[in-house]
Amino acid sequence: MIIAALAPFPVVLPLGVGALLLGVSKHLPRRGPDVLAILTAAATSVICGLLARSAAETGPITYWFGQWHLLGDQVVGISFVIDLASAGVGALVGFLFAATLVFAWGFFEEVHAHFHVIMLVFMAGMVGFCLTGDLINMFVWFELMSVAGFAATGFALRSSAIAGALNFTIVNTVGAYVFLAGIGLLYGQGGALDMVALGRSVAAHPNDPVMALGFVLIASALLTKAAQLPFQMWLGDAHAVAPSPVSVIFSGAMVSIGLFGLAKLGFRVFGGAPEIVGESRRALLVIGLASAVVGAMLALGQRHIKRLLAFSTISHAGIMLTGLSQMSQDGEAGLLAYLFGHGLVKGAMFMLAGFIAAKCGGIDEITLRGRGRDYWPVGIMMALGGLALAGLPFGPMDEGFKLIEHGAADAGQHWIATVLLVSATLTGAAVLRVAGRIFGGWGELSGDERHGETEEEQEPGHQPAVLLAGPAALLLGLGLIGWDDGGALASRAAAALIALPEQPAPALPGSPGPWIAVLCAVAITGFELARRHLPHWFVALVEAFRVPPTRVLQRMQSGLVTDYVTWLAVGLAVLATAFVFAV
Amino acid sequence: MTGAWVGWLPWAVAAWLFGVGLYGIISSRHYVHLIGCLTIVQSATYVLLLSIGYRRGAGPPIFHAHPPSTPAVDPVMQVLVLTDIVVGATVTALLLVLVLQFHKRRGIVDPQQAAPLT
Repeated sequence: MIIAALAPFPVVLPLGVGALLLGVSKHLPRRGPDVLAILTAAATSVICGLLARSAAETGPITYWFGQWHLLGDQVVGISFVIDLASAGVGALVGFLFAATLVFAWGFFEEVHAHFHVIMLVFMAGMVGFCLTGDLINMFVWFELMSVAGFAATGFALRSSAIAGALNFTIVNTVGAYVFLAGIGLLYGQGGALDMVALGRSVAAHPNDPVMALGFVLIASALLTKAAQLPFQMWLGDAHAVAPSPVSVIFSGAMVSIGLFGLAKLGFRVFGGAPEIVGESRRALLVIGLASAVVGAMLALGQRHIKRLLAFSTISHAGIMLTGLSQMSQDGEAGLLAYLFGHGLVKGAMFMLAGFIAAKCGGIDEITLRGRGRDYWPVGIMMALGGLALAGLPFGPMDEGFKLIEHGAADAGQHWIATVLLVSATLTGAAVLRVAGRIFGGWGELSGDERHGETEEEQEPGHQPAVLLAGPAALLLGLGLIGWDDGGALASRAAAALIALPEQPAPALPGSPGPWIAVLCAVAITGFELARRHLPHWFVALVEAFRVPPTRVLQRMQSGLVTDYVTWLAVGLAVLATAFVFAV
Repeated sequence: MTGAWVGWLPWAVAAWLFGVGLYGIISSRHYVHLIGCLTIVQSATYVLLLSIGYRRGAGPPIFHAHPPSTPAVDPVMQVLVLTDIVVGATVTALLLVLVLQFHKRRGIVDPQQAAPLT
């Protein structure tokens, strides 16, 4: 029970320390804010871990703020409902922040502790979003993490960073208003904001079109945060221009947390509405697969390293959404395991991108060819990350993939796994190509291809290389080691997330699929880097298939916020039509 | 708790505000204009939320002058609107600062010429 008393601290602690830092940072020694922020993030992670363990042993912990709970039969309080999945994701978030803050040691020399304060508020928003059991509270945390994210993106005040932050802010703010309107509709029809109470109202009127519209509005906002088609446009800008430590958090945690919120909404509130669940299966599967493929193609067509990684995040979030769309324990377990593995590996990759920006003097793959030779161990890490993204069968990402594959096979959709493997192969190949070109010096291009189209970007490079690469090595290592019974743990967490009795975790035999994907990724990398030495007709043939669709996708990714909001409106209209007619 | 509906009018107003606000954002040629349009989209949520919480013939949910059992409009929705206003103010302030900084560096305020990475 002493553990249950810790329930509010994952958000109280970072918010409190953030406020304190803002006040006293002038009087602290130069590295004081760094140390304090790292310790706070680590403590948040540990508290979430303790809560997760306690929830695993004795069931979910419900904490009512201010002891407000029931008035008659009305739920009037606001609660944290801390189950294994929520607290586990919270622990991952805290850990990623701690590692990122070590990576960002001395990143911004000129400012007092503003960066740290923003990061702590950002973390509190994410953890609160994971733990809450109340819709309006979820919205508040969602906004807190959004606004902290907006500020963190534009923090460096370069013109590209500001333009990216503007796009990010505008698109996501439209998303936030849509979220709030959805909450209004659900409250108007269901008379509650607590997720469990609202779930009961939904189960009593499962075919209410206004409820369905409410679901669409909230789901669209969460899909915007998770950067899924057609709401994904902002991500390529924001992740690419944000300072590297911020990109680590964006890709490693923020995007997948949007999907985590969507899973909670889908099961806890709408689990009793079979039509909405059924339509979610169809719609989210289409969106997930499309995002996986489109993101992968865009990643392979990029030369701006951070943007390349950003597109690969869209692709991998699409894989997670495919798991989510199965609306089953296996699918959600796959989502959770993949979320962990991806957070660790992609976080490490963005740290390495930051390393390149700091030590090699740029972020453009082509112009940096061979400039990383002195840092070859980092190149090996990056190559390992590329292989992991392609599907290397180790660690939680592989565990998640197998669970998603299993869920799809159960539903008779074996082809889904193939589509996902192809997209993973392409993103992995893109990262491998960067590693080979920068750290190996391979893949020289002919004259007119060499001209950079990306803005030169350099990040502060005075930190010791070990400090920049160390946290990445830690994350990558954790992302690649197998966890004992990782699949069983993910299944337990998924059962807690979907609030249904736990089914036994499926036995997951290894399949040759991931190895084939890894081999294909290596082959594609070889093709990309050895292009000059291959027969001309062969290169032309491959390009004829690859270049036109990539061009179309790149043109759609115009960088203009007006286009992005148009896509958002289109997506909203299509989803609303589909769901309202489904009930 | 479901509020008595005032009728279809507030819904229509909310939908209209949402639509014109979105159209304004999509067609905007000036960031400050765009931020104004964003505020209009937000106003749609104000109207929607307030109309959901409204009850015909009920007073404000402040029980200073009259006893707590008298009918009142739903305070939860009013609280949501307050949250909404706070969020809107924060985001608008942040956006205006970003636009100012952007104009200082690039000298333009047209969102249709402001791609970050092309």
